[in-house]
Amino acid sequence: MSKTGILDKLNVFRQIIKDNGGLGKSIYVWYKTDDMKTGDLVGEDKFGNKYYQNNYYFFGRNRWAIYSPEKHLDYDASQIPPEWHRWLQYISDVPPVGDGAPPRAKWMADYYENRTATSKAYVPYSTVKPKIQSWSPNQS
Amino acid sequence: MLRLWPLRHVAKTPLSALAKYSSAPAASPEKVEVFIDGKPVYVEPGTTVLQACAEGGVEIPRFCYHDRLSIAGNCRMCLVEVEKSPKPIASCAMPVMKGMRVKTDSPVSRKAREGVMEFLLVNHPLDCPICDQGGECDLQDQSMVFGSDRSRFTDSAYTGKRAVEDKNIGPLVKTIMTRCIHCTRCIRFASEVAGVDDLGTTGRGNDMQVGTYVEKMLKSELSGNVIDLCPVGALTSKPYAFTARPWETKKIESIDVMDAVGSNIVVTMRTNEVMRIVPRLNEEVNEEWISDKTRFAYDGLKRQRLTSPFMKNKNGILEESDWENAFIAAAHKLNAVSGNEIAAIAGGLADAEALVSLKDFLNKLGSEGLCTEEMFPMDGAGTDLRSNYLLNTTIAGIEEADLVVLIGTNPRYEAPIFNARLRKSWVHNELDVALLGSPVDLSFEYEHLGETANDLDKLVSGNHPFSKRLASAKRPVIVVGSAILQRSDGGALHSAITRLAQDIRVQSGCGDDWKVLNVLHRVASQVAALDLGYKAGVDYIRANPPKVLYLLGADEAVLTREDLPKDTFIIYQGHHGDRGASMADVIFPGAAYTEKDVTYVNTEGRAQLTRQAVTPPGLARNDWKIIRALSEIMGNSLPYDKIQEVRRRLAEVAPNLVRVGDVEEANYFKQAQELAQLVKKTPSNEPLSPPMKTLKEFYMTDSISRASQTMAKCVQAATEAETSKY
Repeated sequence: MSKTGILDKLNVFRQIIKDNGGLGKSIYVWYKTDDMKTGDLVGEDKFGNKYYQNNYYFFGRNRWAIYSPEKHLDYDASQIPPEWHRWLQYISDVPPVGDGAPPRAKWMADYYENRTATSKAYVPYSTVKPKIQSWSPNQS
Repeated sequence: MLRLWPLRHVAKTPLSALAKYSSAPAASPEKVEVFIDGKPVYVEPGTTVLQACAEGGVEIPRFCYHDRLSIAGNCRMCLVEVEKSPKPIASCAMPVMKGMRVKTDSPVSRKAREGVMEFLLVNHPLDCPICDQGGECDLQDQSMVFGSDRSRFTDSAYTGKRAVEDKNIGPLVKTIMTRCIHCTRCIRFASEVAGVDDLGTTGRGNDMQVGTYVEKMLKSELSGNVIDLCPVGALTSKPYAFTARPWETKKIESIDVMDAVGSNIVVTMRTNEVMRIVPRLNEEVNEEWISDKTRFAYDGLKRQRLTSPFMKNKNGILEESDWENAFIAAAHKLNAVSGNEIAAIAGGLADAEALVSLKDFLNKLGSEGLCTEEMFPMDGAGTDLRSNYLLNTTIAGIEEADLVVLIGTNPRYEAPIFNARLRKSWVHNELDVALLGSPVDLSFEYEHLGETANDLDKLVSGNHPFSKRLASAKRPVIVVGSAILQRSDGGALHSAITRLAQDIRVQSGCGDDWKVLNVLHRVASQVAALDLGYKAGVDYIRANPPKVLYLLGADEAVLTREDLPKDTFIIYQGHHGDRGASMADVIFPGAAYTEKDVTYVNTEGRAQLTRQAVTPPGLARNDWKIIRALSEIMGNSLPYDKIQEVRRRLAEVAPNLVRVGDVEEANYFKQAQELAQLVKKTPSNEPLSPPMKTLKEFYMTDSISRASQTMAKCVQAATEAETSKY
């Protein structure tokens, strides 16, 4: 099933446009991801990111995520939750859907994306006693 | 213990004097010729072999020998071979003999040293990695240079090394007695220099122990010096324990401001933090000792600091602010009043640069109300004649005196280093000391002449039983404590003392260049302030209540809120939140003495420079720069931008303030005495009592030492020691 001819290429292109939902949406996906692909939807996480697989592409490009439309262009890799990260980075071949979902315990914290440069960013603070103790006018 | 006082006398001969002769081709007849490793050296008879070797350029290893202490000769490290001597001799205790041939590096000498070193190390713990002396340890250094290159010690698993219980001798000196090598330097220091016979030895041979016999505090204001003297890590600093290593610190040569002596110090700094303070050699000021307050009050530099400007808000509560707002608030107030309604008080830690800036600033605004916190009588010549308020004889000059009369002072706590000089002269030069005022423990004997000004009058008129002795003195010295001049009758006292000094100077026939009258100040800023023309004491401010009062580090609360009109606006500039800051409306955070390059003038009139060791904390800034910046905000800029320009201005006002290291002499006693005749007041009959009589009063005297926890522990320990039966 080699698809080497020019017609085959056009056929694939047509299929991609179709799968992406028409020419306009395809151009939007291209604009957003610099890429146009088609594949099987493997699952969707709670943030609305969709995960695809198509083994037509070579290893390393055959699994990908389309980030939630809410994020528009503000997507980054830290928005992928760890269970999907595992699948996406080929740590495991079992996607976290259905029986493949990892067990969750009550005490596990919800995953959230990297908050750097937002108001919720983590700011470290010193736990070392200050070398100089300042005077406060109210203590005496 | 064996004390060889006569030899100690000989050891006092300055090496420079000896060097002058030794380099002369033909020796003068009284010199003795000795050969050090075959090289002829000419030394005075009575010199020890060790000193002769030093002349010949060979340093003999030693532990017990110290050139400011008596000779003990018990460590044996200084053994050298002398030709025709059957055994190696201890060179520190052996006087030279004519034609002696010393071999400092012969196989016999080396074997002797190796043997001694081996014996010392047999009972010395191998805890150098955790020892505070590590890196500056004589034993470490000398075992590297003179010790054997291998050990024969194999017994560590069986009987182990000698172990000695640690002693608790107070909050300053930490003892790890197992490390002691029994050099007895600490014992000799305590009994000879500090004058407290608390330390001693018990047992002998392997069982010898250095200690205080019973558990008690080493009650001395100079106790910290035993840390420097100890050649090993047996006596180390408690506050400095386990904080830094000598090779990771920077050493900055500076000046102390805890008293008016201006001891030379080395400030040790690491990561922008003062780690410790140790003495620096200056034969004319502090030799190589410093007082415990100088050495240990540095932790006060890290507590209660003013790290940002403060301003009072609408509700009258001090709040942190920034420089701009604080300056604008102060400038508003200063602009709103006329010049003569502004006054300033300079405290005891103010530097000369800040003092001259403040004076120029206020003078520009039209104010003359610049006062010092410390009083000095303005009657008679007052502060116009410099010789009136200096320690004219100089600290080193005291050693030439044969009679010292202390009036209303306790130099032991007001200026411990000066007291150590007095004691040195008392021990070695047969100096006689008399004291007029409340009896105190000076650590040496003195004649008590009475307590009140009545006895002073008798001395002046020559009716006192001591007058005869006073008249027969060849080089008499009178030392007045600045504390008694704080009293309302200070002027009368000062004029009486001036008269007495002039009388005995004439009687003694000591000539015009010998100065009799001395004032011993207590605070570091006073002489510079008076040199710059500050009014001594706050009487002027009491008489002319100001609308704006500028406190430059004035923390002794000589004027409180109650003494001033209610609407007085108080600006405080200083480095510690103390009494001055708590009554201020605006606070400018300044720098402490380890944080700025500035001039201080000691009680002799010797200008000395501090060097910046660390940066001022937070928003704090150098003091003269604060005043300069405020003047610019006021639109009336002071004409200097750099420290050099401030110093140029200092040189214009008082040239002696920029002659760093020199004593600027003053000699106007006759004129002062003539002017003193004009003072017609009579002193009151209260006892002439110095404020510091016991050790516990010594530790906390200024805003730095009051903030120091180490000093607080010392006060507590000294208070407890008073009730101790030992």
